[in-house]
Amino acid sequence: MSTTLTIPKLEMSMSEGTLAEWKAEDGAEVKEGDVIYILETNKTSRDIEAPASGKLVHKAPAGETYDVGTEIGEIV
Amino acid sequence: MAQGNLGIEPEVLKAIYGQMARIRAVDKAIQAGLSQGKFMFTYWPMTGQECIPATISQLITARDYMVTTYRGIHDQVAKGVDLYGMFAEALGRQDGVNKGKGGSPHISDPSSGSMVTTAIVGAGAPIANGLAISAKERGEDRVTIVNFGDGATSIGAVHEAMNLAGAWKLPVIFMCQNNQWGEYTRIPTYTASPNFYGRAEALGFRGVRLDGNDPAAFYAGMKDVIESVRAGKGPVFVEAVTYRIGPHAGVGENYNATKEELAAGKERAPVEKTRALLIDAGICSEDELGALEEAARKEVEDAIARALESPVTPESETIIDVFADVNSVPKRGSYPARAAETEPTGETRTMSMVEAIRDAQHIAMSKNKEVFILGEDVGDPHGGVFGTNKGLQDEFGNTRVRPTPIAEQAIIGAAVGSSIAGMRPIAEIMFTDFFGVCLDQIANHAAKQRYMSGSATHAPMTIRVQAGGGMGGFGAQHSQSTEAWLLHTPGIKVVYPSNPFDAKGLLLSAIDDPDPVVSFESMMLLFTQKGEVPTGEYKIPLGVAKVKREGSDITLISYGWELNNCLAAAEELAKEGISAEVIDLRSLVPIDYHRILESVKKTGRALVVHAAVEFCGLGAEICATINEELWGKLKAPAIRLGAEYAPIAYSNAIEMNQVPNINSIAARARAAVKS
Repeated sequence: MSTTLTIPKLEMSMSEGTLAEWKAEDGAEVKEGDVIYILETNKTSRDIEAPASGKLVHKAPAGETYDVGTEIGEIV
Repeated sequence: MAQGNLGIEPEVLKAIYGQMARIRAVDKAIQAGLSQGKFMFTYWPMTGQECIPATISQLITARDYMVTTYRGIHDQVAKGVDLYGMFAEALGRQDGVNKGKGGSPHISDPSSGSMVTTAIVGAGAPIANGLAISAKERGEDRVTIVNFGDGATSIGAVHEAMNLAGAWKLPVIFMCQNNQWGEYTRIPTYTASPNFYGRAEALGFRGVRLDGNDPAAFYAGMKDVIESVRAGKGPVFVEAVTYRIGPHAGVGENYNATKEELAAGKERAPVEKTRALLIDAGICSEDELGALEEAARKEVEDAIARALESPVTPESETIIDVFADVNSVPKRGSYPARAAETEPTGETRTMSMVEAIRDAQHIAMSKNKEVFILGEDVGDPHGGVFGTNKGLQDEFGNTRVRPTPIAEQAIIGAAVGSSIAGMRPIAEIMFTDFFGVCLDQIANHAAKQRYMSGSATHAPMTIRVQAGGGMGGFGAQHSQSTEAWLLHTPGIKVVYPSNPFDAKGLLLSAIDDPDPVVSFESMMLLFTQKGEVPTGEYKIPLGVAKVKREGSDITLISYGWELNNCLAAAEELAKEGISAEVIDLRSLVPIDYHRILESVKKTGRALVVHAAVEFCGLGAEICATINEELWGKLKAPAIRLGAEYAPIAYSNAIEMNQVPNINSIAARARAAVKS
C-alpha cells in the first residue's frame, strides 16, 4: 500500500507551504520517522518525517510553494 | 523485583506506562496523519504531558467526572474514551462519539465520564463545579477533575470557580497541567506569580504542587488528593508541573522555546523516563514493553482505519441536536402550529408576578428534589433582590436555595454542569445587563452543549433574569433589553411573560424543558401588575403565542412589558376607529410564526413592538418573515418599533421616549393604517 504525501495543514492559519528541500533522494529507501523534507511556513521551518517506510518518490520540485493538500510525493 | 525504593507498586507503574504508550501512539498517529496530509484538522499537541492522565487513570473510574480542554486528547485516551469514536469525531464522521458535530475539541462521552471538553480557555472550571454539586447532592462518591493549563489561571472563570468550590466545599479537583506555556506566551510574560497552587490557599482551600512527569511521585500525591476529595474534605488545586514539547497548535516541536529549554523539557519527558525505569527496576523486559507498545500502535491504527470508513456527517444533520425537538428550531418556511394550553381550572389567587414566580418555583421544588435555585442574594429573609424566592430557603434548606458569590460565570457554569448531570437548576441573574459577564457560559456552553455533543449530553437548565428599562433611574447598565443577544445564539430558548399568569405557566414549562431556557422578568411588571393565578400546577407550552385582544385593522405583536403598552395603545386607537389585534408572543424561541401569520393574514397589517433596540432586533426578523410570506396579501408592509439606537439614558426625559411608549406605538400604528 502506498502512502501519498501532501502539503500538510500544520496550523489553523496555514494555507500554503514551501517545500524548501528534499532531505531524501528520489527513489531512496526511507524508514518511518526519517526526515524526508523541510517544510517552510510563515511561522517556522520544520522537518517532516516519513509517515511510513518504503521507497520515496518525489512528485514536486523543491524550492516552490504549494497549496495545502497538494500532492508532492509518495512512499511505495 | 527491585520495587522497594520505587515508591509505587510495579503493576501500577506498568499500567501507567500502558496508558502512556496508548497516548503516545495516538499523538504519533495524529502528527503523522497531519504531516502526511491524510488528516486535516487542528491539533493542539500534548506531547510531554502524558504522565498526568495516565497516572490519574489508575486512581479513578468511569464513574468519576472529567472536564478538559481542546489540548486534552491525552486526558480522553486515559479516561477511556473509545479510540474509534474519538478518531471518527476528530475527522467529523457520523460514528464519532458526538456524531462528528463537536470534533476533538468538544468530546463529551458520559459512558467514560468525559463529560465536557471546552475550547474556551478556563471555561471548564465553573462547569466542573456543577458536576460536583450533583455528586454531592446525590450522595455519590464521585470526584470531578477539571483539567486546564497554567495559562487558564489568568482568566476570570477559573478564579470564580475556585472561589465557589472553596465556599461550598465541592468534591472537585482543579488539575492545572502547568506546561509552562499559555498558548504562545511563556510564564514570566503573563504573570508575576508562577505560584499557581498558592492561588488556592489564597481562596481558603488546599493547593499542592506535584511533579507531573514523575509517575511514582505523582501517583502518591494524587492518591492522597483524590482520597481527600472523595471523603468530602473539599476541593484541591493541583499544580502538576510538566512541559509542553509541542507548539500551541500544529505538529512538531515548540518553536517558541529556545533549544536549551526544549532539550531540558525532553530530558524530563515522562514516557521515555518511565520506560527506562521499568526496565532498570527489572519490572518489564524490553520484549514485554515492545509488545505493549505494539498493541497500542495496533489499537490506534485499527481505530483510524475504521474511522476513515465512517461517512462524513451529512448536511441533513444541520439542525438536528440544536434542541431536543427539531420543530423548536426557527426555520424559514416552516411554521408549526403548536397546541395551546388547556385553560387551568381550580382555585386562583390574586398574585403579582413576583408571587407567581415564587409559586412556580415552590411547585417545581416540591415535586422534584433535583430542582434547586442559585444566584446572588437568593436566600431568605429577602429571597432575592426582588423577593422572587421568599421563604424557599427556609422551607427547602441551604442546598436547594444557594446564595452565591457575586460571580455570574460561576453561577451559570454551576447550572450548566449540574444540569448536564441531570439536575434541574434555576440560576437567577439579577439584571440582564450582567449577561455581559457570563455570556460565555450561556452562549458557548449551555446553548451549544447538546449540539457539540451530538445530544450525548445537554443542559436542561433555567436562567431567570430581571430586566429593567422604561422606568427611570437605573442607568445604562441596569436597563437594557438584551434578548436579541440570546436570540442570535442557536441552542437557547427564551421566554418573556407579560403577566403573572403566563410567568408561572412559562416558568414551569422552562424548568421541565430538556433545553436551556432563559426567562426574562420585567422589573416594570414584577410588583405593579396583579392578576388571578391558579394556585395549582399548570404549564404554558413554549412557542405558543396568545391573542390578547382581537381586531381587524392591524396586528400589534409584542412581549414582556411592551405588550401592556400595546394593549393600552390599542385602546387609544379604538377611540379613532382603528381596530388593533394584539398578540403576546410569550416565548421568543421557539417562536409561534403560525399564530403571527394567521393574525396578519386577517388584518393585513403588522407592527412589532419591543423595548430592545430596533436595529437588528426581533422586530426586524418578524417583519421580514411577514413581508416575505404574505407579500401581495398585505395592505401595508409589516413594520417595527423598538428603542432608538442609544444606551438607555439616565435622564428621565430621554428614557421615557427612547423606548416605545403608548403614544409612539399608537402613532406608528396609525401611520401604518393610513398609509
